[in-house]
Amino acid sequence: MTAKEWAGRIALYTILILVTIVVCFPLIWAFFTSVKPKDEIFLWPPTLWPNVWTFENYTSLFAGKQAYFQGGSAASSAPPPSAFFLDWFLNSVIVAVGTTLISTIVSTLAAYSLTRFRFPGQRAVPYLALVGYMVPSIIFVFPMFLVMADLRLTDTLLSLILGYVCITLPFSLWLMWAFFRGVPIEIEEAALVDGASRLRVFFEIVLPTAWPGIVAAAIFTLIVSWNDYLFGRVFMNTMENLPLTVGVMHFFDGTHVDWGLMMASSVLMTVPMAILFALLQRHLVAGFGAGAVKG
Amino acid sequence: MDVRLENLSKSFGSNSVLKALDLTFPERKFVTLLGPSGCGKTTLLRLIAGLERASGGAIHFGGERVDHLAPADRNIAMVFQSYALYPTMDVAANIGYGLKVRGMAAPERSEKVGIVAKVLEIGHLLARKPRALSGGQRQRVALGRAMVRKPDIFLMDEPLSNLDAKLRATMRGELKRFHLDLETTSIYVTHDQLEAMTMSDLVAVMNEGVVQQFATPEEVYDRPVNLFVAGFIGSPPMNFCDVTVAEHGGVPVLMLAGRAIPVPPQFTLTRADEGRRLVLGVRPQDVRLADLDDPTAVPGTVWMVELIGSERLIEVEVAPKLRITSEVKAEVRAAIDAPAAVAFDDAKLHLFDPGTGLALPRAD
Repeated sequence: MTAKEWAGRIALYTILILVTIVVCFPLIWAFFTSVKPKDEIFLWPPTLWPNVWTFENYTSLFAGKQAYFQGGSAASSAPPPSAFFLDWFLNSVIVAVGTTLISTIVSTLAAYSLTRFRFPGQRAVPYLALVGYMVPSIIFVFPMFLVMADLRLTDTLLSLILGYVCITLPFSLWLMWAFFRGVPIEIEEAALVDGASRLRVFFEIVLPTAWPGIVAAAIFTLIVSWNDYLFGRVFMNTMENLPLTVGVMHFFDGTHVDWGLMMASSVLMTVPMAILFALLQRHLVAGFGAGAVKG
Repeated sequence: MDVRLENLSKSFGSNSVLKALDLTFPERKFVTLLGPSGCGKTTLLRLIAGLERASGGAIHFGGERVDHLAPADRNIAMVFQSYALYPTMDVAANIGYGLKVRGMAAPERSEKVGIVAKVLEIGHLLARKPRALSGGQRQRVALGRAMVRKPDIFLMDEPLSNLDAKLRATMRGELKRFHLDLETTSIYVTHDQLEAMTMSDLVAVMNEGVVQQFATPEEVYDRPVNLFVAGFIGSPPMNFCDVTVAEHGGVPVLMLAGRAIPVPPQFTLTRADEGRRLVLGVRPQDVRLADLDDPTAVPGTVWMVELIGSERLIEVEVAPKLRITSEVKAEVRAAIDAPAAVAFDDAKLHLFDPGTGLALPRAD
């Protein structure tokens, strides 16, 4: 490499490193805040690297309700919000996984039928779905709350799952539709001629080929249902039933904000998603890319 | 196993793609469906494969009616234009998929795949995915997938159209070889007349959903039954000129651009045909440049000269807008706008009725 190329490369990497720092700084800040004792959080000038390391925030989040009741505290006073963290975490996992399973399976099957069978409105459905996705979810949330109330589903995890399926399905459907359009029908016909049944063709030929698209749709759904605040806020009210996003807001209680718990929860919310991304990013790029180009 | 089509038709909505075909593909023959885009040849192949359902009529394989059977139950193999390899499987799995579906055990399967791969010289590629293969290699994998199952009927849909010219020429020979080794009935779809002529035992020339002529390549080339076949087969295409039957010295002659051409001996025209308008067809290879004073030649001026390698094409304008192309040796020179005369090889002339488009009955 010439000196000029070296200079260019150094400049490029410098920019990339700076951008990465800017993007990651809130996460890093959240992590260090979560391991500081309470009085150090408000220290001025602030410290980035904690003077004293403590995991008290994490231990109180993981302690759970049982610890509180077994601690012999008066049953008259309610447990602190941090005692519900494990419930919230589990709720979010159930809701996110449930939504992802339903939304991905339904959108995959629907998109496949939209690209492979001829029926009236076949062209309109994916575009209408996309338009549906563009409507802000705040418009859906109150009518949907009324429906959930009629169904006596409010304050249940099922109501959240159904709500998230409603808002993620259109985009997943459109994504999968664009993806299946790029899968040539000849490979399915070749498998039929090879002697496979329709079902076998779907499972052995179509699904593996569409895998990157399915992964992309699933991750999209997972992110939306994991991160959503609005539906959880409107549909749920019992402490035990809240999803993480709504639950952690109880660390604000009017008189003070427990930043240590807040930041520890944020870190714990981010870690599963970050790990998932790291594992699946190859598929994700392939999925979104294929959908975009071929659709 | 022979393939017999009985009154077979297919429409998509109001668009009739195949019109009441009756055709028999004889056992172990290599038959080509040849025609321009949209003539229904691929649709016909897909009907035989079972990938489309006929609107009417029947398909028989070796006397047994099959048009109600799924593709899986017809024991056919098909090579697609796009090769249609399974993108997520490696080459070995691609070739062996048909065997796997039929429940063959893995060791036996890999043995069979190995044999086919060896024949096709792709043994070193078995662990690769299709996207890591060149066009020619994909083609071979697609062939291997078809061959490994020992099908009764071998269907090919323009399998060479995505290859470069050189590879196409090689693969033509190889495909014909495979056909002979497999001892199956092969049905091959193409719009390339060179492929049809070089590879086939029989050619079905199709246009607008109708088989125009079903005969050997020689027959289709030498004795086209109508204007479409005559114009479609042959390169450069056949010259067509409007002629009128007249009487000259007591015998019928054909009047072309003011010249009287004797009626070719293979056609019988009588006094009754006098005044009848016909279409004279002659291939450029059967047109030669003649002396200007030759009484049987048609004079004109050179309109265009093109060298096509060992031959030269000379277009002579014998009347306004009526040009006759002659294919001559490259050594023959002609200057544009110079006077020239063309003469025909009588035995190679074709006559057609302009109304019906059909060839006139021949004596030979």
